[in-house]
Amino acid sequence: MSNGVFLLSLTGQIESAVFPDFDDIYCKYCFTYGSDWAITSGLEEGISQIGKCSRDDRQSFVWNFPLDVTFKSTNPFGWPQIVISVYGLDAFGNDVVRGYGLCHIPIAAGQYKKTLPMFVPESTTLLQKLTCWLTGRRPEYVEPRILGQGEGREVTRVRSQGWVKVCFNTITRDIQQLGYSTRSSSNSHSCLSL
Amino acid sequence: MAEVHVIGQIVGASNFPSSTLFCKWAFHAGGAWKVVSGLKEGQTHIDNPEYGETTYWCHPVDIHFATRGVQGWPKIHFQVYHQDRFGRCEIYGYGFIHVPTTPGNHVLECVTWRPVGSMRDQINQFFLGGGPQLKNPDVVYSGQDRYRLQTETMGVIHLELNVILRNFHKFGVEY
Repeated sequence: MSNGVFLLSLTGQIESAVFPDFDDIYCKYCFTYGSDWAITSGLEEGISQIGKCSRDDRQSFVWNFPLDVTFKSTNPFGWPQIVISVYGLDAFGNDVVRGYGLCHIPIAAGQYKKTLPMFVPESTTLLQKLTCWLTGRRPEYVEPRILGQGEGREVTRVRSQGWVKVCFNTITRDIQQLGYSTRSSSNSHSCLSL
Repeated sequence: MAEVHVIGQIVGASNFPSSTLFCKWAFHAGGAWKVVSGLKEGQTHIDNPEYGETTYWCHPVDIHFATRGVQGWPKIHFQVYHQDRFGRCEIYGYGFIHVPTTPGNHVLECVTWRPVGSMRDQINQFFLGGGPQLKNPDVVYSGQDRYRLQTETMGVIHLELNVILRNFHKFGVEY
């Protein structure tokens, strides 16, 4: 018996990124999820290697960084989201954030490729911009997981720059047994990307 | 009671006259519907894209409804605003879209419009910004009282929503 618990298993990878004006970047990932959810196996956080931009037309940073994690829950509310933050080194050797991006783990089982737009918070006033420029400290999120909450965003200004490609394979267990339908009966599922 | 989960993202917007935009969104459902958990409304951040014309918000949506009937199926309505260099906000579009009635992954586009004023208003708007706004935003998602409005076409809002239905089969509802 499942005791009202279902499992969601995710395998995949953070494949690559496109950031036209930067070099030497790496990424961190973490998951954010509701209170009914827990991780049963796999790593909740990770940091990739520092990648250099390819010297061809693709202009991409390949990380090929694995994701492998299993969640359990009793309720789809608070479905896990992956939050990716990309960092790089600036001309003075400071670690600077180059982008944050997030998306939900795909809900219906299957294979998905997604391109996540990445954005960085911006200073709101001219004075702050000036101090950032002088001190080399840019605005960043202390806890990137708050991006998954959807609250309190109205106070931030961001600039979107760059994209990260992520590939997901998901399997679910017992979710249909609990009465949930996660895909339409007519068409199985269409792999969609923006 | 049957349950509906709507999980996804308000991804962004395109084809607006300027791309420094933010959006206010809210769910609206009929009387038989109840929100069990999750946010019913919110506001995205202001994005000023570096490359291209597409604004990205990546705003998460996760809401759980319980319902006694299918009438008044939930819809999301939007108000898109533009913030100019001086920090002034003006309305750039109204729109609504129904939550899809089939479970699964849906990539959606919501078209938007905004009211236009008289010739004089339009000239003022061209030089000074601003413009007419709806006094009563219910018009965005109801079909009544629209016939006197004059509107113009604005951009498109992009969404990606996953819908999970539960226990609809028990009540003979087919999808």
